[in-house]
Amino acid sequence: MTRFRITDRSDDAVVIELDPSELPSATPAPPGERPIVRPAARPSATRGRTAVEVVIGGWRFDLEVEDARLADLRQRATASAEAASHHGPTEVRAIIPGRVVSVAVEAGDTVAAGQRLLAVEAMKMENELRSPRAGTVERVAAAVGQTVELGDALVVIR
Amino acid sequence: MSPPGPPFGRVLIANRGEIAVRIIRACHELGMEAVAVYSDADAGAMHVRMADHAVRLGPPPPADSYLRIDVIVEAALAIGADAIHPGYGFLSERAAFARAIETAGLVFVGPPSAVIEALGDKVRARAIARSVGVEGVPGTLEPVAVDRPDQVAVIVAEAERIGFPLLVKAAAGGGGRGMRRVARAAELPAALAAGSAEALSAFGDGSVFLEREVRPARHIEVQLLGDTMGTIVAIGERDCSSQRRHQKLIEEAPAPGLTIAERRHLHELAVRVAVAGGLQNAATAEFLRDADGVFHFLEVNTRLQVEHGVTELVSGLDIVGEQFWLAAGQPLSKAARAAAERAAEPASHAIEVRLAAEDPARDFAPGPGRIGRWVMPAGPGVRVDTGLETGDRVPPDYDNLVAKVMVHAVDRPAAIDRLRRALDETEIAGIQTTLPFDRFVVRHEAFRAGDLSIEWVAEAWDGPAEQARYAAAAGEAAARWVADGVADEAAGGSARAAVGPAAAGTAPAVPAIVESPWAIAAREDATDRWPG
Repeated sequence: MTRFRITDRSDDAVVIELDPSELPSATPAPPGERPIVRPAARPSATRGRTAVEVVIGGWRFDLEVEDARLADLRQRATASAEAASHHGPTEVRAIIPGRVVSVAVEAGDTVAAGQRLLAVEAMKMENELRSPRAGTVERVAAAVGQTVELGDALVVIR
Repeated sequence: MSPPGPPFGRVLIANRGEIAVRIIRACHELGMEAVAVYSDADAGAMHVRMADHAVRLGPPPPADSYLRIDVIVEAALAIGADAIHPGYGFLSERAAFARAIETAGLVFVGPPSAVIEALGDKVRARAIARSVGVEGVPGTLEPVAVDRPDQVAVIVAEAERIGFPLLVKAAAGGGGRGMRRVARAAELPAALAAGSAEALSAFGDGSVFLEREVRPARHIEVQLLGDTMGTIVAIGERDCSSQRRHQKLIEEAPAPGLTIAERRHLHELAVRVAVAGGLQNAATAEFLRDADGVFHFLEVNTRLQVEHGVTELVSGLDIVGEQFWLAAGQPLSKAARAAAERAAEPASHAIEVRLAAEDPARDFAPGPGRIGRWVMPAGPGVRVDTGLETGDRVPPDYDNLVAKVMVHAVDRPAAIDRLRRALDETEIAGIQTTLPFDRFVVRHEAFRAGDLSIEWVAEAWDGPAEQARYAAAAGEAAARWVADGVADEAAGGSARAAVGPAAAGTAPAVPAIVESPWAIAAREDATDRWPG
């Protein structure tokens, strides 16, 4: 009927591609491994994609489901645009929500790949953010004590 | 026979989350009013909803709310509470908190401040234990002089005497904070500096001491109760060997594989330390059991433990309830004395797992968020202590424990089967928890065989691989769900609309949901109950 492409929302990696009408009828999974399927709390940012949360075996999957043909079309359309933007600045974003406990760099600093930029504390644990590549710090958008949400841009490296 | 009337009229609970809920339940069973306190992050939390009164403390950071001794004591006085229960964590082991409560003329539900000072300090507790012939893990009995560069040679010599590998530990702390493992003498100065700095920031006290690392070791602790007349009893022991980064993961009572004689011996050691320290109310004495079966005294926790529930299940005793009677000056209850007599010969087995808001595929990174679905296990022999339900938020400001799942059965194999069943019933959506990890452990042969030596779990666990095993099935379930939605659409009459070519008339090629709240609510209702 329709071929679906299922991607992981965290990294946009393809999880699986399949046509549900070709699947055998669902067989009962053992207890604890029966999937719980729910509409995601946060809708997809991409038109034509459906955001779905699946929990199975205690694992939570944040997925997006899309018609595979449409996905191909869009990919071709955006591929050239993306290639052009690869040389721009890199944004280092918060990978967990929490509070900034230390900032090790300031604008103008030269940083090496893997160098410590800042630390965010959440739930009594300190998480260090390191530079994904070498470059110059263009901007530091976080201060010690500031509360940050998941995905907030914290440091820009050029 | 309990004396008539409740031990107190109104009790303030200086804590949050599941332990506040647990204590409120004890208050209500004893006919006492419960006063909750909360930070702005917890204004709508379960412990606030369950309490009879609630007092706001301040903004979310603990230092501005749950650690504010002045605000909490003032609140208790203003609302007319007679007693304050500290729970665990936060201010529970701060002698200054107990003293402030005593000074205000209120009752602290826990040991007196002087006892917290003596037994709560690891270095002092070890000295007390040694004075009554209970040996600790080889180590320093005095805090190390970290601020004295001229003492480096002395410290290194001391370390050589203790033997490597050793641990640098915080005198004031727990939970692995301020702790550093040192394999060689050359690493010692750096580890002392780092450990002391971390201890200072975490506990406001940078004192550290040295201790030999005992490995393999089992971590076994004894639940103690004591009255104001000086009678102290052991209610049984718990095995908490399954740990990750010094955080306990699974606790059970009784400790597997101990003989009755060993159990009696261990309980006697714990009581001896407690008597020497003048313990009152409730506390836990922690020991390491080395490969030769020798118990080494570690420390005393002068408060209710997270894992007290497994002892309650096996002993039949309500430890929190007992704490209130003891705090009111009553002698140890008949039930407590009877439980102590049975403690060395337990007739059943209980296991607890801690569900935490952490991602076991991403090195257990904490993950706060809102709970979309929350189904806790029930049925025979299952107890769940939690402070959360569907729709609640797990705030990033506090501990990441979301629920304690406890099971109780006639013996250990039956308890493991029951735990496996209970975890299979557990459904949590919206946040990632340690549930997959717990399901893995409870199925592991080493766990069933009673191999609980610290850290085997970390070696056996490959989170990303475990998660990957379910990815295809999850994708399949998502595709089926969307496809079913499209089928609904084709049949007409659902609140969803298709976008794209579907508008042209034939079967919709591009499924999409118009995210109306009504549509979501209706779908959640339908799909939740009948998962693929």
